Amino acid sequence: MPVRWACGVGAKVRHAFALLGSVWWLLGKCVRSGLRLSREQRRVVLAVTRIQIRFTALDALPLCVLTALLLGGITLLQVFAQLSAFGAERHISQILAQLVIRELGPLMVGILVISRSGTAMATEMASRMLSGELDSLYVSGVDPIPYLLVPRLLGGVISVFSLVIVFDTVALLGGFLVAWLRLPVSFGFFLGALGEAIGRRELTATFLKCIVFGIAIPLVCTSFGLRVRRSTTEIPQAVTKASVVSLAVLLLAGAILSVLIYA
Amino acid sequence: MPEPVLALEAVTLLAPEGRAVFRGLDWRMERGARFQARGGAGGGCTALLRLCAGIAEPDSGRVVLDGTALEAGVPHPFLQRGHLGWVPSDGGLAVNLSLLQNVALPLQFAQNLGQAAAERTAMAWLEQAGLGPQARNRPAVPGDRESWVASLARAAAKGSRLWLVDRPAGGLDADSIQAAEHILGHAAQDPDVSILLVGGAWMPSLGVELTIGNGRVFSGREP
Repeated sequence: MPVRWACGVGAKVRHAFALLGSVWWLLGKCVRSGLRLSREQRRVVLAVTRIQIRFTALDALPLCVLTALLLGGITLLQVFAQLSAFGAERHISQILAQLVIRELGPLMVGILVISRSGTAMATEMASRMLSGELDSLYVSGVDPIPYLLVPRLLGGVISVFSLVIVFDTVALLGGFLVAWLRLPVSFGFFLGALGEAIGRRELTATFLKCIVFGIAIPLVCTSFGLRVRRSTTEIPQAVTKASVVSLAVLLLAGAILSVLIYA
Repeated sequence: MPEPVLALEAVTLLAPEGRAVFRGLDWRMERGARFQARGGAGGGCTALLRLCAGIAEPDSGRVVLDGTALEAGVPHPFLQRGHLGWVPSDGGLAVNLSLLQNVALPLQFAQNLGQAAAERTAMAWLEQAGLGPQARNRPAVPGDRESWVASLARAAAKGSRLWLVDRPAGGLDADSIQAAEHILGHAAQDPDVSILLVGGAWMPSLGVELTIGNGRVFSGREP
């Protein structure tokens, strides 16, 4: 029994490393292809990137704003209840700013992007694989890596970055609205406290998380989509795996970055 | 002996269930050769096309395209330059692009043509294929037959040196036959262009008859 268990663990570890290797290989191919694009290819890639940004960032804006507004308000209510027990309400904006900017903003945007765009990317790639469209593109002289994957990586980074800025701003405003209803705080005071709370470390952390999440989500999701080989029944399995693994990567990468920057 | 545009050297290809589609197949296609392949369902016509394009990887042996062996994961210069005219049964077009964009894309990507010039060339070929009015539609709107003809137009627009053309899904009507004859006839005027057409009883004058079956490929009818 212990041998079988050890074999099972070993197989899972090997599988995880194989996945990591293939994702890393794909990233290398994307970077190399992206750097070797000719002028005309760059134009095509940028056009596809614009479409990707519209889908990932612009179309997600209403959901992002709603989530941020509610989350900012709810977080403030919870924090306020704790702080008022110690008479420390005046620190509320600093705590809210650090919570939202350091952790909640990138994490929530990452989850939104996985659920809306990551799953769509995995499905799209899987369908294109099965229909032979990717093969047709390749043999017709259009390499799918620069044409399809590079725009998704670029679009992912730009979209996550833009959405995080919107999310953080709206969440802080939502928090201020709730604070304003409960406390005698002015907008000027709130902004001043925010300015004190946001330093170079917060901005660096947000920037790094945006880049890592923006690359990791499309990369993991397209990688799972491209593994589909034989039948349409593999597509939902690939999409489920893509969202679960990219969520795990998101949490892990976020935790590692936070520990490295703030510990 | 001149270098062939395509050579299969001791190629063995197994079907997913383990049956040998080809075993130790040696076959070459000279520059300017024109073949019309015939074979029953499951005989290996489409498999041969996929092998020649590098889409199917042989279980053993190798496929040499324009003097360079096809290897999985390694970009092939002949393909990168857009010299292969690949026309699968369903046309193999991108479903999210219009017919015009589908035909223009390889011109922009593989041959570095500007968007306007690529679309002009693409439009000219689509019009010759009788698909001018459908050019702004996505492949699903006109249908499979038109997608296949548009795929021929794509191969013609980029000046393919080697054409691998499968039989269209769902057959052809009179208009599509006329368009296909026109496009393939135009390509065949260039003595360096090689064509391997599966089926194509509608174009009997194209070239040498090739029979594919029982894991073999040979000229003429099966003995």
